[in-house]
Amino acid sequence: MLEQLALLGTEGEPLAPSGPIWSADGADPAAPDLADLRGQPYLRYALEVAAAGGHSVLIVGPPGAGKSLAARRLPSIMPPLSRSEAMEVLRIASVCGRSPGPDTPTRPFRAPHHTISTAGLVGGGSPPRPGEVTLSHRGVLFLDELGEFSREALEALRQPLEEGRVTIVRARHAIELPCRFMLVAASNPCPCGRGEESGECDCQPASTRRYRAKLSGALADRIDIAISVERPSAEDMGAAPTSDSASVRDRVIAARQRQERRLGAGRCNADMNLAELRSSCGMDEKAAAMLANGHARLRLSGRGHDRVLRLSRTIADLEGCERVSSDHVARALTLRRRGPD
Amino acid sequence: MSDERARTWALRRGEPGYPPALLDLGTDVPGRLFGCGNRTLVGGLELGHTVTIVGSRRPSSYGLRVAEDLGRLLAAAGLVVVSGMARGIDAAAHRGALAGAGVTLAVLGSGADVVYPASERRLYRDILSSGAVISEAPPGQRPEPGAFPKRNRIMAALGAITVVVEAAQPSGSLITARQALKLQREVGAVPGPVTSRVSEGTNDLIADGAAPIRGAQDVLDRLLGVGIEAIRRCGPPLEPELAGVAEAIELGSRTCDAVAAASGMVADGVAVALARLELLGYVQSDPAGCYSRTTLIPPES
Repeated sequence: MLEQLALLGTEGEPLAPSGPIWSADGADPAAPDLADLRGQPYLRYALEVAAAGGHSVLIVGPPGAGKSLAARRLPSIMPPLSRSEAMEVLRIASVCGRSPGPDTPTRPFRAPHHTISTAGLVGGGSPPRPGEVTLSHRGVLFLDELGEFSREALEALRQPLEEGRVTIVRARHAIELPCRFMLVAASNPCPCGRGEESGECDCQPASTRRYRAKLSGALADRIDIAISVERPSAEDMGAAPTSDSASVRDRVIAARQRQERRLGAGRCNADMNLAELRSSCGMDEKAAAMLANGHARLRLSGRGHDRVLRLSRTIADLEGCERVSSDHVARALTLRRRGPD
Repeated sequence: MSDERARTWALRRGEPGYPPALLDLGTDVPGRLFGCGNRTLVGGLELGHTVTIVGSRRPSSYGLRVAEDLGRLLAAAGLVVVSGMARGIDAAAHRGALAGAGVTLAVLGSGADVVYPASERRLYRDILSSGAVISEAPPGQRPEPGAFPKRNRIMAALGAITVVVEAAQPSGSLITARQALKLQREVGAVPGPVTSRVSEGTNDLIADGAAPIRGAQDVLDRLLGVGIEAIRRCGPPLEPELAGVAEAIELGSRTCDAVAAASGMVADGVAVALARLELLGYVQSDPAGCYSRTTLIPPES
């Protein structure tokens, strides 16, 4: 059975028909809704862009800022599973001995604890079993306290993130398991969690520096979006809920459809290669000037530059624009993950 | 090391390019100086536009933060920040100065081409990229205990004001302060908690009459006259909306959501404004996407 699974969704398998199966909108009524997130409009916006382009996200903020609350709601704004995607999810569940039940499968959400072993994360053991990366195939893998995961585990995530599949090698054979997931990582701003600027932080600057270096270094080249959040204010908590997941998801679906028309079925901006990236971003003059300015003033690296381009493309897709404007680039500059590549 | 040794230059007393401020040392004037990096910076040092920042090698996080802020703001204000590249306060001051896109000068106790402490190799390189490293010791000289108090007198002479950020009692930083006083240079100290051992020396200095330094403006007030924000650069004009966002950041909002709440703008409008402000140089962001104001000031309208 595992061998069968290994054949799934690894190499450009056609994912059409892309329509949902079973229920009309593929929504899980029991899934947590984005409406639970009070205030924090920018955090919502970051999630919307992430979902629209399949971009991985790093959320930094003190405990209680709603990081995991937000991450758990990401599947609810992603497009419903297509028929073939749903089959993949079902087969993985089945291999793991979980009965999928009669309901429509929804996008998986996995949140392994940071003490997880490398084998638990990427798969392994004897006989080999799928790890968390495979269990979150077509869904979201949430790593809370990114800085606390072992270096080894984070390193092991590289290949799966890069290629959408993971290879487990044993003496007699090797198997390949699918693992196309969106990564959401969360972290405190410093080891004590309160944040340097709060005035209550009692971390040694050196340890904060090490902590941040580990954060910005970890999986650096695979995370496109970084956002800082703070605890919502009392006013925010009392505010009426703004938009719910359904309305955001409609925009996300529209944006994904634009991407599929451009790139082919089942693909999204996050996995564009360089050539596709270059050819897809028709920019107006002001946008090009802003990006060039960013390159010079903000010391964007080559990768950083491409990252902004990729995010700009997704933001333009969300707004239904063919061409990337300077406002799209500006938003991408604010959302981008900074730091070493 | 050989790389730097090849680029080491020497300045003899009396030669053009020898910093005139050092002549105030009287009988103690160093006969020769060796240096790496920006030679014209050393020759062009103007007393009155230099600040020496020194302090403990084992500072508290408060001290590090103050040293870095002072370095950054004073360098951005156009002053040359002089320090000793030691671990702790010295390194933080240099780092701050570099972050403020200013120039900074390190005075070493070892040869100018010998990186000491070795853990600051990266800082050493960064300093050389725009500033300079000088020393009285010949190139290749390893650090020796006696060299540091001697080095301190050079730092004291080069700075129009010597600011001690944190120092225990007794400490090398206090020696620097004493030498600055002997040279009739100004001495300032950053006040600290009376319960903190590393603030003993600085609080004592203040009790003895040193200028309390609460921030960069206190230094600028002493060097350039009260209220003058100095060689502070004026930025390009700002549209009212951008000015509002810059002000919200200045008042302590650090995330897009916080600015949106403070200004009443929509979040993605704030994102656009922040990117524009960052490109204009009014704000900066850390790796986690947290924003802060730079020292650039908008022109008076």
